[in-house]
Amino acid sequence: MKEITCKLLVIGAGPGGYVSAIRAGQLGVDTVIVEMAKPGGTCLNIGCIPSKALIHAADDFHRTAAMAAGRNAMGIRAENPTIDFGRTIAWKDGITGRLTMGVAGLLKKAGVKMVVGRARFRDGKTVEVETETGQQVIRAENVIIATGSAPVELPMLPFGGKVISSTGALSLTQVPEKLAVVGAGYIGLELGIAFAKLGSKVTIVEALDRILPLYDTQLTQPVAKRLSALGVEVLHGTKVKGMSSNGETLLAEAADGEERRIVADKVLVTVGRKPVIEGWGREELELDMDGRYLRIDDQCRTSMRGIYAIGDVTGEPMLAHRAMAQGEMVAEIVSGKRRSWDKGAIPAVCFTDPEIVSVGLSPDEARAAGREVKIGQFPFSANGRAMTLSAEEGFVRVVARADNHLVLGIQGVGAGISELSAAFSLAVEMGARLEDIAGTIHAHPTQSEAFAEAALKALGHALHV
Amino acid sequence: MAYDVIVIGSGPGGYVCAVKAAQLGLKVAVVEKRATYGGTCLNIGCIPSKALLHASEMFHHAAHGMDALGVEVSAPKLNLEKMMAHKDATVKSNVDGVSFLFKKNKIDGFQGTGKIVAAGKVSVTGEDGKVQELETKNIVIATGSDVAGIPGVNVEIDEKVIVSSTGAIALDKVPQHLVVVGGGVIGMELGSVWSRLGAKVTVVEYLDKLLGGMDGEVSKQFQRMMAKQGMDIRTDAKVSGVEKTANGAKVTYEPVKGGEAQTVEADVVLISTGRKPYTAGLGLEEAGVALDNRGRVEIDSHFKTNVAGIYAIGDVVKGPMLAHKAEDEGVALAEILAGQHGHVNYDVIPGVVYTQPEVASVGKTEEELKAAGVAYKVGKFPFTANGRARAMLATDGFVKILADKETDRVLGGHIVGFGAGEMIHEITVLMEFGGSSEDLGRTCHAHPTMSEAVKEAALGTFFKPIHM
Ligand SMILES: Cc1cc2nc3c(=O)[nH]c(=O)nc-3n(C[C@H](O)[C@H](O)[C@H](O)COP(=O)(O)OP(=O)(O)OC[C@H]3O[C@@H](n4cnc5c(N)ncnc54)[C@H](O)[C@@H]3O)c2cc1C
Ligand SMILES: Cc1cc2nc3c(=O)[nH]c(=O)nc-3n(C[C@H](O)[C@H](O)[C@H](O)COP(=O)(O)OP(=O)(O)OC[C@H]3O[C@@H](n4cnc5c(N)ncnc54)[C@H](O)[C@@H]3O)c2cc1C
Repeated sequence: MKEITCKLLVIGAGPGGYVSAIRAGQLGVDTVIVEMAKPGGTCLNIGCIPSKALIHAADDFHRTAAMAAGRNAMGIRAENPTIDFGRTIAWKDGITGRLTMGVAGLLKKAGVKMVVGRARFRDGKTVEVETETGQQVIRAENVIIATGSAPVELPMLPFGGKVISSTGALSLTQVPEKLAVVGAGYIGLELGIAFAKLGSKVTIVEALDRILPLYDTQLTQPVAKRLSALGVEVLHGTKVKGMSSNGETLLAEAADGEERRIVADKVLVTVGRKPVIEGWGREELELDMDGRYLRIDDQCRTSMRGIYAIGDVTGEPMLAHRAMAQGEMVAEIVSGKRRSWDKGAIPAVCFTDPEIVSVGLSPDEARAAGREVKIGQFPFSANGRAMTLSAEEGFVRVVARADNHLVLGIQGVGAGISELSAAFSLAVEMGARLEDIAGTIHAHPTQSEAFAEAALKALGHALHV
Repeated sequence: MAYDVIVIGSGPGGYVCAVKAAQLGLKVAVVEKRATYGGTCLNIGCIPSKALLHASEMFHHAAHGMDALGVEVSAPKLNLEKMMAHKDATVKSNVDGVSFLFKKNKIDGFQGTGKIVAAGKVSVTGEDGKVQELETKNIVIATGSDVAGIPGVNVEIDEKVIVSSTGAIALDKVPQHLVVVGGGVIGMELGSVWSRLGAKVTVVEYLDKLLGGMDGEVSKQFQRMMAKQGMDIRTDAKVSGVEKTANGAKVTYEPVKGGEAQTVEADVVLISTGRKPYTAGLGLEEAGVALDNRGRVEIDSHFKTNVAGIYAIGDVVKGPMLAHKAEDEGVALAEILAGQHGHVNYDVIPGVVYTQPEVASVGKTEEELKAAGVAYKVGKFPFTANGRARAMLATDGFVKILADKETDRVLGGHIVGFGAGEMIHEITVLMEFGGSSEDLGRTCHAHPTMSEAVKEAALGTFFKPIHM
């Protein structure tokens, strides 16, 4: 096969890779992207999008089931809702199918050449791809490594049979009667809650003494409350040991040393994700590592000239929009622009029930950084829109420097709060002070009013509490 | 004992002004003639209408929105009485909230009709006819607005068959045919409520489009969506009569461009042709307070009327009739009265229409920029290309960003789509900062959210979107 030479080669077409390739193509950079599976990566195929589709369907089903049980304050009564889970999954697959095709179309439109197959470095400027029709050699001035991440496997609970990863959970054809979830991070909780709403009896096993350990308890408390309302059992401080010898029961050990036997039809293991740092010829290169991740500088340069790395392979936060922001930046740098990017305003969202959002520093992080802070917290129970939506659980919290009121971080928990995250990020990105937020007119009645009220509260007085 | 401030009217303008003034250390009283605080907004406006919009949306969604997801359910049943009880409970917790705020901030509440006797003097006439006189340094008029009726047409609103928004949020059964006169925000919202609950809805609008002052593209797409939802929309139609009949009412209208008059029969007719400032019984004439040519209390840029010590805010003065505009004026005025420098930025006031999908806008429309001769650029992004929208089956609509052609400063933002009312706020914050479309486009947006469409539209304004 004829060799390809190009200015930019991107390895991996997840949100990091495909966004950088599209941007580079739009900027006139001669670009090639290699992907061994489907364009869109984890995010579009087995991550963000299918999980959110399933969560949406589960929400709708659960709400209707509540109507059928007469548990609806609004006077709506439904009868016998049922779920045809096969159709739900087909619907979800339809969405991911259209989106991955969409990505292929966007790459084409931007003039990016796509090569399908596994890529492997021969040296810092040369990559071989095993395609269906043979080996393709690509020589590139610049290479972006965007190989992403994969689920972490537990040695005592290897994937297979009853034991599934998030990928397996998103392609079940039946709602499991009993589902055990190992790990109470955001992926485990998002999927655990969705299956609970679809009718599974869910048990969550977590080694630490709380759910969502990356967030403070104020933020996670409404989720914990909801879990118990949904009948989800959460076993804190409990370590899994493996499956019973007949492969039927999950064995675990509680904090007091007592053995727990958890009967489950499926065991979903969500104990984190690990960077994909093997299988693409890293051994042929001299790349510095940062723990288990590839080391990068502020511009996503690795330790080798002309080689960049973006996305999950470069570490936390492992989020699609961080990968995209890095991808966009690197494309622009390769095209000759001077770019850098402020990492202080990367929003993180848990699509749990209720949703959790965090941007910038939490109160504890700000204090740990030696800041004196002012904190304002406003509850949705005092927000008119939340009342009309019957969604009064949760709050918005603003953390600012005590001396000049510069906003350092914004967190919140509540129904639908994921869409408030954009305004939160923008405020941090623009260097807003509390007064700026308090002085911006927020439409009434909206949940966003809680943002302005939280800023007012930090300044001394909220209006509506 | 004299007050520092007496506020007449406890709507969002009045109660917020009172709370803020009290927080700033002033001695405050509020006079309200309604039995509960909160004004139009909390009692018969924003809050009850949004409660019904949400509930009716749930009902409609249960019936139509879920089959595609594999969720199967037989036709849901409506218990309208219970739905109204939900609305009433929502109103109650909101108005109770205002009483609580008054107590907490040590604001004296007076039940009765307030009248300005002179600068520094307010009389309160209670239900029982007893009159009380109060003294104060400053008077704030926050008496709001009332239903306007149809200019030049004599309509008798009985709130049963011919209703205003007040009757339309309290009907005791779903009408078979509801005719909405006036396709503005209130008409389209309440029309949507009853349409979702099963009424056939006909909208008769004088202009050639719905939602009057909105961006042209927005109102065009909006009209298409409403028609698709089954509303019968008749624009360019001048209503010449609304009359009760034996079993309902009839509405007569003439095409604006000329032609034969038409008549539609209805079970219920909603008159939603706008609101007018409310100053009846306030004693403004005697006190010498000037009104402008549209009956609004005239104020300067510091909310001062022509009489020293008398101020006015909210629907009763110029500007958009919106609760948050009234609130912001209330805050600014309280600050001024406390010796601070409050002000309101009228260029950045968001507006939301709570239909499905929602419509939200802030700043200038494309038509306004054209008329003002401003060189601008446009970026647009449809929700069909947004992952979260697809995952929620909410792909209707788009985001449109308008920016100055040279400086890239964002001049306006318009969103049609599920949840537009929340998404508009990032554009609002950005405009308050005088930010550019590049600022917006380069801000990291969480994935997957619908707000990514705002980022993409902004990317499209200054260069190119990624996902289109
Ligand atoms: C269930 C789940 C839910 C999630 N939800 C969210 C969420 O709501 N929001 C959010 O921000 N993030 C979420 N994430 C995380 C998100 O999916 C990742 O952060 C994101 O996909 C990382 O993008 P990436 O481009 O770095 O890598 P990936 O998306 O992992 O893409 C890497 C691509 O590289 C390809 N590849 C690897 N090696 C090679 C090779 N040698 N040759 C060719 N191709 C190769 C892979 O096939 C893959 O397609 C979720 C993840 C999971 C699992
Ligand atoms: C159906 C409907 C839906 C709406 N939805 C929205 C929305 O979603 N968002 C939005 O921003 N706006 C909405 N509005 C508009 C909003 O309600 C008004 O803009 C807002 O209420 C104006 O506030 P205000 O304080 O100026 O006056 P008002 O809320 O009208 O309050 C004035 C108060 O003054 C009292 N009063 C009057 N005269 C006297 C007197 N002489 N003595 C004592 N008391 C007196 C009245 O009884 C009343 O309680 C809606 C309006 C309606 C009708």
